[in-house]
Amino acid sequence: MLDMIKRKSGTANSSATIASVKDLTVHFQSKKGKVHAVDRVSFEIYDGETLGLVGETGCGKSVTGRSFLQLLPIPPGILAQGTVNFHPHARCASCTGEGCAECEHTGRCPVPCPSCEGSGCSRCDDSGAETVELLRLPDRDIREIRGDRIAMIFQDPGKALNPTLTIGDQISEVFFQHRTDDLLEASGFDAADREFGAGALKRLASQRNGGIDNLLLSIPPLRGRRDRILKALSEMVAEALAQTHIPNPQQVMDRYPHELSGGMRQRVMIAQALACNPDLLIADEPTTALDVTVQARILDLISDLQQRRQTSVLYISHDLSLVRRICDRVAVMYAGRIVEIGRTDQVFKNPCHPYTRGLLQAVPTAARKRGELMAIKGTVPELVDPAPSCRFIGRCQYEQSACRMQDPALHPVADEHSVSCFIHHPAPAGDAPGFDKRTS
Amino acid sequence: MNVQADFGTDPSGKGADDIVLAVRNLKKHFPIRDGVFQRVVGHVKAVDGVSFNIRRGETVGLVGESGCGKSTLGRCVSGLSDPTSGGVYFGISADDCARVDDHQSTGAALPSSEIADIEARHRIDLLQGDAQRRFRRNCQMVFQDSFASLNPRHLVVDIVGRPLRVYKEASGAELTERVVSLLEMVGLGRHHLYRYPHQFSGGQRQRISIARALALDPELIVLDEPTSALDVSVQAQILNLLNDLQRDNNLAYLFITHDLAVVQHMADRLVAMYLGRVSETGETKTVFDDPQHPYTLALMAAKPDLTDEDGAKLQALEGNIPDPARPPQGCRFHTRCPVATPICGWEIDDVVRWLEESPGMFDTLAGVERMSAFDASLRFSDTGSAERLAGALRSPAMPAAMQRAMEELSIDGASVRIRFQAVDEVQLTDRGFDHNVACVLDPSKD
Repeated sequence: MLDMIKRKSGTANSSATIASVKDLTVHFQSKKGKVHAVDRVSFEIYDGETLGLVGETGCGKSVTGRSFLQLLPIPPGILAQGTVNFHPHARCASCTGEGCAECEHTGRCPVPCPSCEGSGCSRCDDSGAETVELLRLPDRDIREIRGDRIAMIFQDPGKALNPTLTIGDQISEVFFQHRTDDLLEASGFDAADREFGAGALKRLASQRNGGIDNLLLSIPPLRGRRDRILKALSEMVAEALAQTHIPNPQQVMDRYPHELSGGMRQRVMIAQALACNPDLLIADEPTTALDVTVQARILDLISDLQQRRQTSVLYISHDLSLVRRICDRVAVMYAGRIVEIGRTDQVFKNPCHPYTRGLLQAVPTAARKRGELMAIKGTVPELVDPAPSCRFIGRCQYEQSACRMQDPALHPVADEHSVSCFIHHPAPAGDAPGFDKRTS
Repeated sequence: MNVQADFGTDPSGKGADDIVLAVRNLKKHFPIRDGVFQRVVGHVKAVDGVSFNIRRGETVGLVGESGCGKSTLGRCVSGLSDPTSGGVYFGISADDCARVDDHQSTGAALPSSEIADIEARHRIDLLQGDAQRRFRRNCQMVFQDSFASLNPRHLVVDIVGRPLRVYKEASGAELTERVVSLLEMVGLGRHHLYRYPHQFSGGQRQRISIARALALDPELIVLDEPTSALDVSVQAQILNLLNDLQRDNNLAYLFITHDLAVVQHMADRLVAMYLGRVSETGETKTVFDDPQHPYTLALMAAKPDLTDEDGAKLQALEGNIPDPARPPQGCRFHTRCPVATPICGWEIDDVVRWLEESPGMFDTLAGVERMSAFDASLRFSDTGSAERLAGALRSPAMPAAMQRAMEELSIDGASVRIRFQAVDEVQLTDRGFDHNVACVLDPSKD
């Protein structure tokens, strides 16, 4: 399955973006000063692709991922500048999410911009699609998007699942929050209806029922409806779990997270994330805590579901060999910056930034003699008020005076392949570095 | 057959008989307690009969999934926990080692005085006084989580200097100088002496752990996932450092990891573990070129590699690790093995596991009357379930090997009598030079 999701670039899909990040800058206030965790990061996620975000610990890849859903702690975090534009899809009108020819069996279709009807205007960034600015969205609205249009899978499923709720209860929350109408429909409730107990049913289906509601809902005519809602809910939960190939979902629903193995917990997380058929899935190191054998199965599962539903994925990882396997495009981050971005085959066959080269050479293989791994010397710099220079100085083998004086920006070196290094584009001043000039 | 003896004879290698540490039939069982009186109701067999040698100056890689007992084994080897049975022998000569092997293979009930003498001198849980101190200073450990293994309230000079002080090697200014030279060995310096662990990055903390392990000039270091928490670029630094230190100090490493790429790069010999037992062992190159155990093959197929061709497929291993409190009979891997045969140890527990996974079936199970692990009658609350089970067992959905292993399947009302072919536990067998595999399949014999 994994190889099949590798999609040819240049298809119709690659032009449509699902989200675009522009000049995202996140600072963290610390005692020493402002830590520039993410510094003017810009990239786009195309519709239906898997974009890998790789880098070492502390390079800002998780912060970037979390900023999509306003999950950053503010303060100490400071959103200094930048925008994250997201183009949400809506449920396909002709098939109500089941998948039909019109929506290419994804169950979702793009929404035209309300102000320009798809012709492109300043409000939608000339994309013609409805645009939401995620970073400055009010709480109410971002809650609508979290878990529904954009979902997230976290690294450690042991910590991300609530230990006091059963698996069924946790996944139910997603449906209560985002699928209230479906649940009401299951009880035969008409939205225009003003009958007795309508409010109580509504509150039950959006998980806001209080003590008086529970009393009301236990009265016979309403009790039947309540039971129908709950039955529909448990069917939806079981369906979501079955999507991730969990054997015996009915039994798993009644278990608590600690009763499941790591791989199983990660499947529950994926089931929860994909329950509402999101447009964008942010996977933050989803297999780091798992064994290789389990990892292979989880990857299989993510790519299978991704292929089936054409969900776009932002895959955050530090594992290069893994990213190479499952991503269409890769962005390499270093010290809060994207230093290289391109199609997976371009970046891995022809790594252009010295850091990308270093990372690839540091991976231990049988071919390399023992003790002769090409380690990148030094450590990741502290990002407190960084000087206007290339962030990789001090660790770079090819560093020249130009690198210490100016800050390189991302420039294209080939179609869809951009690098920020003076080796590939002219430096304004000083000695330009080159791969033939090695500095010890 | 006596497999252990094969380990000690390496005609080509340097110091083939120079054993630093020998592990023999090591078992570590953890009791499961239950009820008001906390009675022991079973044992988790974390390590269940493992034998191997570590020779001077070599790296032995120990790989396996989480929960296979590799860390427990590492703790037993370094003396941090006492084994349930079997032993870890330190500083034992090859002759003595052969005697212990002979004694174990003959299975004599009482050890002779000669064996008892060897055990008292070399078995680490029986060592006393000076011998114990000698072992402890010669066997050091580096842990995975350097945050947890360095005391946050101590300065680096205290952490690294502690072993020297405990063994009265140095004090005062001399101690400081020794610590500085140790720090320089691992790529740190004098200016790091008076800092706390939290002031260092992950890679630097791991260097401090290594410096502490090196303080007493040990012969063996047990490295328990030393680079798992580190980034690739830092991992490369640490692996290079470990290699340099090994070359300069003639160290032996027991390198515990789940990362096959790291093992392939670092280890001279490899021990692959599955559910408390060794599944395959041999020289790293031999094992990677010609893996013979299906589990080793599965591990390798599941590992993404930068050198793989484009579009190569990852092979995921089906199923979960079975409960180590009731490990499968025969070959422990047979429940997940893609090439299982009828003689791999199919048993009643496999049927029970299937019942647990099928909706509604386990609830109707009223009782299991076991004659042996391979022979039992399962009683259901209704006849329908019994027929469904028998039907399912005969259906092609079940592994064909399991069906062929079934010697009897009969329904008597609501109970089903099932009997499988009884097999012994699969032992390690010799597959060429220093390569041992615990699998019933042997391609060379076909």
